[in-house]
Order: sequence, then C-alpha cells, then structure tokens
Amino acid sequence: MPLFGKSQKGPAEVVKALKEAVNALEKGDKKAEKAQEDVSKNLVLIKNMLYGTSESEPQTDIIVAQLAQELYNSNLLLLLVQNLNRIDFEGKKDVAQVFNNILRRQIGTRSPTVEYICTKSEILYTLMSGYEHQEIALNCGTMLRECARYEALAKIMLYSEDFYNFFRYVEVSTFDIASDAFSTFKELLTRHKLLCADFLETNYDKVFNHYQRLLNSENYVTRRQSLKLLGELLLDRHNFTVMTRYISNPDNLKLMMNMLKERSRNIQFEAFHVFKVFVANPNKPKPILDILLRNQDKLVEFLMKFHTDRAEDEQFNDEKAYLIRQIKELKPLPGH
Amino acid sequence: MSENENLTDRNGSGDIMEPASENGDTRNRIFSVDSAEELKPINAAENAEIWLKKFEETGLSGVDDDLETVNIANFFHRVDSDQIIYNMKKKRLKVIGKYVMGDLLGEGAYGKVKEMMDSETLCRRAVKIFKDKKLKRIPNGEQSVIKEINMLKKLCHKNVIRLIDVFRIEEKKKLYIVMEFCVGSLQAMLDSAPGKKLPPRQAQEYFNQLIDGLEYLHGQRVVHKDIKPGNLLLTLEEQLKISDFGVAETFDFFAKDDTCYIGQGSPAFQPPEIANGSESFAGFKVDIWSSGVTLYNFVTGLYPFEGNNIFRLFESIGKGIFTIPKEIEDPLRDLILGMLRKDPEERFTLQQVKQHPWVNANPPASDYRVLIPPIKNDIWHNMTILPYLCDHYYENDSNSEASYDECGMLDDAEYITERELNAAIENHKRSAGHSNGNAQKSNQSSTSSSTKNRGRKKRPISCMAVRNMCMCKQS
Repeated sequence: MPLFGKSQKGPAEVVKALKEAVNALEKGDKKAEKAQEDVSKNLVLIKNMLYGTSESEPQTDIIVAQLAQELYNSNLLLLLVQNLNRIDFEGKKDVAQVFNNILRRQIGTRSPTVEYICTKSEILYTLMSGYEHQEIALNCGTMLRECARYEALAKIMLYSEDFYNFFRYVEVSTFDIASDAFSTFKELLTRHKLLCADFLETNYDKVFNHYQRLLNSENYVTRRQSLKLLGELLLDRHNFTVMTRYISNPDNLKLMMNMLKERSRNIQFEAFHVFKVFVANPNKPKPILDILLRNQDKLVEFLMKFHTDRAEDEQFNDEKAYLIRQIKELKPLPGH
Repeated sequence: MSENENLTDRNGSGDIMEPASENGDTRNRIFSVDSAEELKPINAAENAEIWLKKFEETGLSGVDDDLETVNIANFFHRVDSDQIIYNMKKKRLKVIGKYVMGDLLGEGAYGKVKEMMDSETLCRRAVKIFKDKKLKRIPNGEQSVIKEINMLKKLCHKNVIRLIDVFRIEEKKKLYIVMEFCVGSLQAMLDSAPGKKLPPRQAQEYFNQLIDGLEYLHGQRVVHKDIKPGNLLLTLEEQLKISDFGVAETFDFFAKDDTCYIGQGSPAFQPPEIANGSESFAGFKVDIWSSGVTLYNFVTGLYPFEGNNIFRLFESIGKGIFTIPKEIEDPLRDLILGMLRKDPEERFTLQQVKQHPWVNANPPASDYRVLIPPIKNDIWHNMTILPYLCDHYYENDSNSEASYDECGMLDDAEYITERELNAAIENHKRSAGHSNGNAQKSNQSSTSSSTKNRGRKKRPISCMAVRNMCMCKQS
C-alpha cells in the first residue's frame, strides 16, 4: 500500500463507485451535486488507468482487461451515454475518451468491445440521438465516428431507422453540430465500400427521397456539401448499380440542370460533375434523352460559356468539350 | 525576412540560377563538366583543378556516356598524389520558379528525383525531373508520363502519392513533376533491414495502408498493375504512398467490368494469368496478386516465385505452385495463400482481404523496428535545402566560426590536398559508422575506433532545427 495518498482502487471498485454515482445523478435528488463530483472523480480514475498520467504509466493489460470486463458486466457504457448530459464538461470529454479507448481494445484478432456493442445496439441509438442535444452533440459525434470505423457497428447504424434522422441533423442551425453530423453521415456512407453499396441499393428509394431534400435545402452549406457527397458516391465504382439507377431518373437530371444554373459557382461546379454522368451514359433511357434533346441548343450554348475562366483546369475543359460534343451529336432514338 | 524577399525576387524575374550546370552537383564529378556535357581534358600544366568526387556517390554516372569523345592520352598524365589539389566547390543555391532545389533523392531511367522546397509555403517537396532526351529513348516514354500526370491529377487519397505541380522549362528541355515529399521506398527499407524483411507489426501497418490506398484506386476505376515494394514510398511520418502510375490503367466510367488486355508490370509480381499469356484478365485481381507477393516479400524477405530469367520465372508463376516458409503461421499464411490463388476467380477480393483476421489483428509489438534508411548517412532526413540557403545567404557570417560540411572538412578552405582529403574521408567513415550504429546494430570495431577519436571529432553545425519542417502539409 502506498505511503501517501489514498490506496489504489481496483477496476471493480471504481466501476462500482461510478455506477452508483451515475445512478444517483440520474435520480436527480438533492444529493445530485455530490454525485456529480463522484462521477467526475471516478471517470478520471478510469481514464488514468487507460491512458496513464504524466507521472504514471497506463495500467497493465490484465488490469485493463478486468476494467473492460467490469464495464461490460455493469452495463456502464450505456448508462454513461444515457446520462451524458448530466455529467459536467470535463467529465463528458472523459467519457468519450474512455469509450473510444475501450472500443479500440483488441485481443488478437478480436475486438471484444465491438462484439459487446453489437449485442447492446441501444448504445449506438443513444449516441445517434445525442445530436438532438446541443451540449452533448460533439462528444457523441467523436464516439460515433469511432464506432463507424467498425463495419459491424456501421451496419447496425446504417440499417436502423434512426439513420434517417441524420438528414435532419446535418441541417440544424448550429453550424458546428451540423458539420459534425455531416462528417459522421459521410463516414457511414463511404467508409465500408461494399456495405455502403449494398445499403444504398437495398434502400435506394428511401435514401434518395431523403437525399433529395438535402439537395433542395435552404441552407447553402447543406446544399453544397450534400451535392459534393452525391458526386463522390456516384463516381465511386463500388456504387455502379446505384449510379446507373440514379442517372436513369429524369427528375434527377432536371435537378442537376437547375443546379448548374445556381447562383453559387461552387454549386454549379459540383453539379457539373454529376450532370456529366447523365450525358456520358452510353445507354440513356428515353426520358433522359428527351430532356437533353429538348434543351440541346440551350445546353450547348450554356456549356460554351460555363466557367470559361477555369483555363488552368485541363481535365475540366476536356470534360466540358466532351459533353458539348456529345450533346451536339444527340439524335432521337430511331422509330420515334 | 530580407532573404525571403530576395528569393521571391529571383522567382519574379524567372531567373534560374546557375544555368550552366544542370543540377548543382557537378562538384561530385572528377571532371569538370560544362553545360553541353562535354568533358574538358585536364591540363595539368596550367592548373591541376580537379573537382572533388564525393565518396558517397559511386560510379561516374553521367560521365560515361561521353568518354569516347575524350582524348584518352590526356588522362594518363602522372601527377603525384600529394600534388593534386582539389577544389572544394561551395554548395550553390539553385532556384527554379518558386522552388529551391535540394539534394538528389534517387535516380531512374528517365532522370532524377530531387528534394525541393516550395519557397512560398516552405513545404518540402520531391521533384521528378524528366529529360526530353532520355524520355525519347524509352519506348512510349512520353505518352506514359502524360498518362501518369493526367491520372494523378484526379487522385486524392492519403495513401496515394499526390501530384502538386507540373511545369516545363523549355531551354533546359526538362519536365518537372512536383510531388509530395517522401523519404524513400519500402524496397530501400527492406534492403537495409536484417534478413530483408519487416517485423510482423510493421509489415501489417504498411500492408493495411496499401490496402486502403488500393481500395480507393479501385473505387476510382484505376488498376495500378505494378504494385511492388519499390513503388511504395514512405513519408517521414511513415505514411505509405502508392506511386508510379506509369503502367496503370483507368477504366471507362461505364465499363461493365475490369477486363484488361495489357500487362506491363514487374515480372516477379505478375499473376499466373499474365505469365501464361492470357489475352484478357480481370484488372483488380492483378493488384491483389501483386499485393500478395509484396506481403510475402515483407514478411519473409523472399519472393514466392523465382527464376533465372523471365521465361523460367513466368513458367514458375504460371504453375502457381509456391511454398511459404514454416515460420509464417496461420492467419498470415492463410491470407497469403488467399491472395496468391492461381485462379483469379478464387483469389481473395479486396473486401475479403480487408476483413481477414490478420489485417484486423493486433500483433504484439516486436522488439525492433526497421527505420527508413538514411540518405547520405543522415538518419534524421534533415532538409537538404538548408545548407544551400545558408551558404548563399550567410556566407559572410560564417567567418567567425568556421563551419564544417558533412565530411568534416573546413568549408571555407577552397583548396585541399589529397592527404587532407584522405584524412577527412577516414574521419567521415568513422562518424558514419557511428551514426549508423544508432539505426542498426553497428559492428563493434567502428564504434570502438570512433570513441577513441571522440575528443577531436567535430560535429557538423546546423543553423536551424529543421526536423519539424517536414510536418508542414497543405491544408
């Protein structure tokens, strides 16, 4: 036993103490202030076990394994996430740090925390709903993105009904929260290529109905970011099937043509990169061809004048010249 | 900041310093070479001015070409060794556009790779210099360079080399391709490693980055076709960058699948379908195979297929039979077997590789780590531009404190004799042996001799700590 200071508590004790404190905090009676303090104190203890301090090294693997096991058994991770808004400022950050560290823990090829969370998917849903609460949104965001790195967890989130809330979160008026939500949203849709492609294919209608709203958003940042992400998604070869489906819908073409005429040059430019796919498609369905034919002359004229100051960007100019040639050469399908 | 203004001034006028010598290291050559790359025979009677050949450089590259044109008789003019006076050439600052040139990083068939610094952002860069003359000699050279540039322009991923700038200087007949700064290739690292292999954890780190980069490339419909340790570069932060897209191919956006018709990569890394001469094959599976061979090479230091010549090699690859050393155990063994399946249909997909237990495992940290091999004995990979800048701008200030260059010789001594040179070389060898000892297990004799001389040895003085500069990245 050390001569000075308190005796060191083992993982089991710390976890038990923290759980009691969080429970007291949840009840919110007159002891809440004391509970608040206890929560912070015990969180720091756990954090120091995992990360070490300036004076001490992180604890040995055995202690960390015990700690993780206690956290699983006591269901404390869920409890912490559920009560995150009641914990003080530093404590919230400690929760995120502890959570992410435990999540990354590996035994050989296994990630026990990932397996644990798969059985407790409520943790993920609670974290996702964290974007509803301003004071914990960013802490939840860091934890969510850490979770999204694991395919199994990303899958649960993508296929949950709560995923569609992201279309609302990315548009909230608080800029930092909206941006954070967007980066999580993007991570979920792009990180695991095959998973994402499968998800987009099976939920095509629902996702793109929601997506349409983002593209029509009042918010400039949302419109621009979502258009850029749409371009990235469609141009990625993994999403070939989704792309072919997207570019055979005349409504999508109309939307892009309108976006080409947006006031913002940046949006025009992003829209160009989606629009070009419609034109380059060697097997254009009739409705698409009809729209292009109806606007043939106008489109050629428009593209001739489109972003002429980008002389430096050879690739863009090549693509533009290609599109102009393609549109000029468009002919109605035989027999019509 | 007056130096800086001065610098940009030069850029503004487009003045390229030292147009006569094409790369500022003419001092590395025994014969003085003028701009037209013709050798001047040495006239000993007039002046025994011989340019110091740096001992790090082996061979007389660049000089051999023109040897026939020189009157041989002039070469065998006997001069006593202690009479020869070497002229120490100062490091001459060279500025091209907004870039300040540094030392050589590597050399290829097309030209040289040098370090550079962007004088506006102060970022370290690497530049590939293509000489028109050399490029013309390579079949399809020009086309493939243009193709590579266009391909790289579209790519942006943390594990794919980023193209930063391309420009030509007509009067020099050279093309400059500016890229992210990398310190060396994995091949160079493997060559320097004990057993020419990497410890498992390090191999996994690099392999996972390779797979990330490859997934991005395949998503962009790019087949690299020439994955091998020599084409995987490392930054100072040990981030892997896939480079050399000379034989890469981009599929049409609406192509139904990834069928390729031409395979041009390095023979030892080619899959059986190419070795057997198939007319067409699945492109992405080629990269999987070569990554598999690369992984095999990382962890064993060997190649799965060998042959005295390309026919034997292709014969052996075509059969697809190979052995994995016994010490490679199961998750890794299974991964290599999966990536090196003869039938491309059965061969792992990138997704299978990504989900493989070995890729996701957390191998124990090994007791050693192979370091990026030093360039010219500098294990820290300091910026090589700095000495040029110092010499150019602080020349007069150095009088008070004599500065030493990397050989330990007095910088401001313009002429030294053979004896002094030998002494300096000897001295340098000792210090080199000593600094290598930090990187790898040194041989004991050199360390013991260097401890004897510790009192006399002077360390090179650098004016600024530049190690942090490598961290600067464009936002």
